Amino acid sequence: MFLAPVTQFRVSSAEAPASLPATVDADSDHELMLAVRAGEIRRLGDLFERYHKPLYGFFVRLTNQPSASEDLVQIVFYRILKYRHTYRDEGKFSAWIYHLARKVSADHFRKSARTPTPTDPADFNEQPDQEPAPDAQAGTADDLELMRRALARVTHDHREVLVLARLQHLNHQEIARLLDCSVGAVKVRAHRALKELREVYFKIRKEQAA
Amino acid sequence: MNCQRVQDNFIDHQDGTLPPAESAALRAHLASCPDCQREWSALQEMTRKLDALPATEEPSPRLREQFYAMLETHQRDADTVSPFALAKSRIDRFFAALLPSTPSLQFAGALAVLALGVFTGARYLQQPVPPAVTSPADAQRLANLERELADQKSEVKDMGGLVAASLLQHKSTSERLQTVLATMDQKSPDRHVLTDLLGALAFDPSVNVRLSTIEALAAHADQAVVRQGLLATLPRESAPLVQVAMIELLTSVREAAAAPLFERLSRDETADKDVRESARRGLALLRSPSPTDPLKSKQPSNPVLS
Ligand SMILES: [Zn+2]
Repeated sequence: MFLAPVTQFRVSSAEAPASLPATVDADSDHELMLAVRAGEIRRLGDLFERYHKPLYGFFVRLTNQPSASEDLVQIVFYRILKYRHTYRDEGKFSAWIYHLARKVSADHFRKSARTPTPTDPADFNEQPDQEPAPDAQAGTADDLELMRRALARVTHDHREVLVLARLQHLNHQEIARLLDCSVGAVKVRAHRALKELREVYFKIRKEQAA
Repeated sequence: MNCQRVQDNFIDHQDGTLPPAESAALRAHLASCPDCQREWSALQEMTRKLDALPATEEPSPRLREQFYAMLETHQRDADTVSPFALAKSRIDRFFAALLPSTPSLQFAGALAVLALGVFTGARYLQQPVPPAVTSPADAQRLANLERELADQKSEVKDMGGLVAASLLQHKSTSERLQTVLATMDQKSPDRHVLTDLLGALAFDPSVNVRLSTIEALAAHADQAVVRQGLLATLPRESAPLVQVAMIELLTSVREAAAAPLFERLSRDETADKDVRESARRGLALLRSPSPTDPLKSKQPSNPVLS
């Protein structure tokens, strides 16, 4: 798949606003980033406070490696600084940061492909039990654990679209721009991803029962 | 509406983005088609379970600390009048002088990126650029080193190297020191860890960090890149302690190519007398028929740290 180089990536601010959970106001993200670009480096701190947790969640779900995910978040912010001059006047910060995050995770997977460590079980089991799911009827703790493992096992492209759409709450237009494909293609991929997730989910459940 | 069409619309229907007419048709089909009904429920169930996944645990405090350390470094760089550009031109000239016959820009560029993190300007800019001192053999070795490091260039540039990234982010000497020491735990570190260490040896302003770097490199002195890096760095090192440590290491691995350097140092009236003495002893050892001395060849002694 073609990924636009950073310098060519731009998103019109006239598009639908980002539906990121932690984002307060896309405009002020943009203002902050313009200030950073102009040399007020410390103002990146505000953007870090807004974005580092969603980004961390993105990487954890994508890589299943919580400790490596911290490094990946750090690399994203490092690249923001390094490439700050390429941020566009008409840019949209949330789109840009996810664009960088995808490249960082692609680099990570390329590197770890050489020394394969697919799922780090130690990392995984460290996850403390969270507070009860908001949707109580969605399932028991076992159920959630099963889902977590299923998500970790679906193919990378499918996992990515699931994480972006369902966990990072990006809409299909935003994802399409990130993946550099049509909105229709995103929907197709989302549908297939859910199907694969379901197959994997039931497969694991069967393995457990056996 | 056929089943395929219906199922293609599931995602839109789920999102509520399907036009009302199609939505109504879809619901009508679902009511009469058990297959699609089953598909739809499965999709809904998966989505519900997925959405119910709790947020991942919080990142550790380390992330925030490192981020703000990095931010400070960048803010200071941005506040000063591009010391990087100045340093880079100095470094380019330095390597141009060392490598008169080879294009040195790539190599210098790669090292300059390393220098960004470890380079405070003070140490290097206050020193005159050392004179070109290379014999043809040295020039050849340096050219080899240049090639080897150029191979790493893209990764180094990307700050993929842990050491380089960490040297960039950590401002205090003790933190840089810890970073260097951490590499000593690695049995067989990445090649670019070694080149990062060589970068630190060449550019870190702290004598302690440079000494530790030599200590860390000692375990890997069997690798050509390490010995070549030492040979390239020794002529421009100014701290006697560090010079002595480098000489001892090169001697302990019996690096024959160090002989011309040792000879020059042993005769250099301006050099510290400990340095001259080390160089003399090293030269004598290199010239003696090489007895295999297992004690010395493996773990060279460091006069300060051990
Ligand atoms: Zn049907």
